[in-house]
Amino acid sequence: MKCFSRYLPYIFRPPSTILSSTCHTEADIISTVEFNSSGELLATGDKGGRVVVFQREQESKSQPNRRGEYNVYSTFQSHEPEFDYLKSLEIEEKINKIKWLPQQNAAYFLLSTNDKTVKLWKISERDKRPEGYNLKDEDGRIRDPSTITSLRVPVLQPMDLMVEATARRVFSNAHTYHINSISVNSDLQTFISTDDLRVNLWNLEITDRSFNIVDIKPSNMEELTEVITSAEFHPRQCHTFAYSSSKGSIRLCDMRQAALCDRHCKYFEEPEDPSTRSFFSEIISSISDVKFSHNGRYLMTRDYLTVKVWDLQMENKPLETYQVHDYLRGKLCSLYENDCIFDKFECVWNGSDSVIMTGSYNNFFRMFDRNTKRDVTLEASRENSKPRAILKPRKVCVGGKRRKDEISVDSLDFSKKILHTTWHPHENIIAVAATNNLYIFQDKVN
Amino acid sequence: MITKGQKRKYSPEEVEATDRSNPIWESQRQFVFSVSLNKYQRGQELPEPSLRRSVLIANTLRQMSLEFCNAPAEDEVPPDSSLSGPEEVQQESPSNKIPSAKHHPAQVVTNSSSALTTCSGVSSLHSSHYAAGRNLANCQWNSSTVPLSNGDEDEEWESMSTDGDFSLSAAISSILTALDSNIEESPQAVQRTPFQSLENLSRSSEGSATWVKQGVRGFVGNLEEWDECRVRENQMEVTRSAYLTDFTVEDLFQDIDTSLLDKDKLFGLRGCGVGHPAGDDLPRYLLPISPSASSSQYLSNQNLKCLPSFSSFGPLSSSPASLPTIFSPSSSLFPDSRVVLPLT
Repeated sequence: MKCFSRYLPYIFRPPSTILSSTCHTEADIISTVEFNSSGELLATGDKGGRVVVFQREQESKSQPNRRGEYNVYSTFQSHEPEFDYLKSLEIEEKINKIKWLPQQNAAYFLLSTNDKTVKLWKISERDKRPEGYNLKDEDGRIRDPSTITSLRVPVLQPMDLMVEATARRVFSNAHTYHINSISVNSDLQTFISTDDLRVNLWNLEITDRSFNIVDIKPSNMEELTEVITSAEFHPRQCHTFAYSSSKGSIRLCDMRQAALCDRHCKYFEEPEDPSTRSFFSEIISSISDVKFSHNGRYLMTRDYLTVKVWDLQMENKPLETYQVHDYLRGKLCSLYENDCIFDKFECVWNGSDSVIMTGSYNNFFRMFDRNTKRDVTLEASRENSKPRAILKPRKVCVGGKRRKDEISVDSLDFSKKILHTTWHPHENIIAVAATNNLYIFQDKVN
Repeated sequence: MITKGQKRKYSPEEVEATDRSNPIWESQRQFVFSVSLNKYQRGQELPEPSLRRSVLIANTLRQMSLEFCNAPAEDEVPPDSSLSGPEEVQQESPSNKIPSAKHHPAQVVTNSSSALTTCSGVSSLHSSHYAAGRNLANCQWNSSTVPLSNGDEDEEWESMSTDGDFSLSAAISSILTALDSNIEESPQAVQRTPFQSLENLSRSSEGSATWVKQGVRGFVGNLEEWDECRVRENQMEVTRSAYLTDFTVEDLFQDIDTSLLDKDKLFGLRGCGVGHPAGDDLPRYLLPISPSASSSQYLSNQNLKCLPSFSSFGPLSSSPASLPTIFSPSSSLFPDSRVVLPLT
């Protein structure tokens, strides 16, 4: 297991107003993080509708030991708060998900979504500008045509690098319920957006229509007992996608079968263990995130207490189950009372699909090595990390006897939760969002 | 405070069975029930409640009400046989609960069957509640006195207000209907205009239907409706708020004898683990965790190159006696008033 160290200072958000973590503004809470497919860029979305993109520094030859750090590359306001006049409801501008498109030219493209609208953003660099216009001065003033005696051709001159983000497409008015996930297809032409009851298929070029491919809304809403919590395209097969439900099941669908994918191809569900049944069994079985492995052979799901790895060929039970914070099983009642039981944690694969990571409370996050079966609990906090210091593994003690450096279950801070994490596609670099702070860790350079 | 149970020397099945009819389990069930109702209420007050959250809470309520429905229905064989087992065990529980159970088996069955109908949620919102209301009006269900308006409505209102299942399924149905009407534009059948509700209120002779519609009205509609209804609601707060707050726990379940509950059918609340006595129950509680934990073998002894060794994560390594320290803060959630059923 690689050990992770913090090699660059933690980043406050927003950079201009540095606040202590106890009095951050609501809008600064990070709501999603995502590396792009090369790992060069890291995007974060927050509750205020902003997207901040970080870029990795090129490794300088003069300092070969110093890995490239991530610096702010672009910041833009992706979504604004809206008001639905028909229903008298405010639409939050919080960015729920960001997904990058693989790079095809010099510009970068990403999809960002709030509860109702998906937007395609183009992030491009401009480092040259034309100079020498005929009809206007360098400062923009219009020249009097009568004073022009000769013509010249404008020439591109270098300028300071400017990164601009422009909204290229807006995919709106297709979702009645809150969008919880988006996923770009491997064909790079389509993507899906998912809300509580429906999955819609879009073409990236067409914004005025989308196809509904999954609809689980019952004709009588009284009969509604299950909602869709997440959906993702298969990384290799452009016709396959999976969606998870609040009842702990995952359905794999093939779009070639029918236009409407209400009938699943595969149904993954682990039978409930009757001995652990409680009032909250269903709530804790609700899947908060589903992720295909990079090789496309496995599925990972996160429910409240566990992470499960499923083999796509085996539907009746998961391949592996990892307990994230089983010490909370005895506290489900109070967690239900304070609503923490409804928290939606995400989970991520590393580039080689050998390690999985997910967040927990008290700013802890957990990593599980699938091969060696080792796991580690790390903490994302300012106090415990110095630059370049190796992160110390943390331990939660469940018994009465608390050893030094252990933390007892009752001392956990349930307001500090790590819901969003992402892993670099090739290297061991992780980004962890802890409320309004972003932590970037990488493994130790030997 | 919940007292620690004595270590029992019975076979595991009996101990397990005892747990399910344990008043602690029942009190926790009541607590979860009331918390769920509160959550649902608060969620409905939001302009746009989260559908996932509402569905999960509704499912929890439905599951609890189903358990409660099924339990008395299957105990219609006289409670004597079911009491022979735990009679010795439940030394602390009041023995005079038994006579009350004997008095009401018929009503229990009637009520549970009608409640089952509503619990299954097959019939439409209004017709099922109206029918159930009629059934209940005929039942001589023991109820606490609810200060309500005069007339024949009293009995009906009492019986309905103390029947958790009837109003529970009404609540569940209205949760989802209200969500739909909040979100969707088209469900005409369910949307209620404020004026329609006002007419219903004035015609008090409608009795149970009026109450039902009042209850439903509060859950349905968009923000505008809610504002208009709120004024009237404050004036009519006796019925709804009285039911939902003051009488949610104690009075709804005041006369329910836990000995009626079929121990074989009920699920223990080991998942919460609150109030479990130290000793025999804990290994059983811990055991279900071990099979899943063994599938991913946690390292306990190996030293890693870069990281200090970290020991096993699971609770198996800890002694059972230490677990109650986790539970003790939670036990404050269960004050005495909810634990013990009244002695009659």
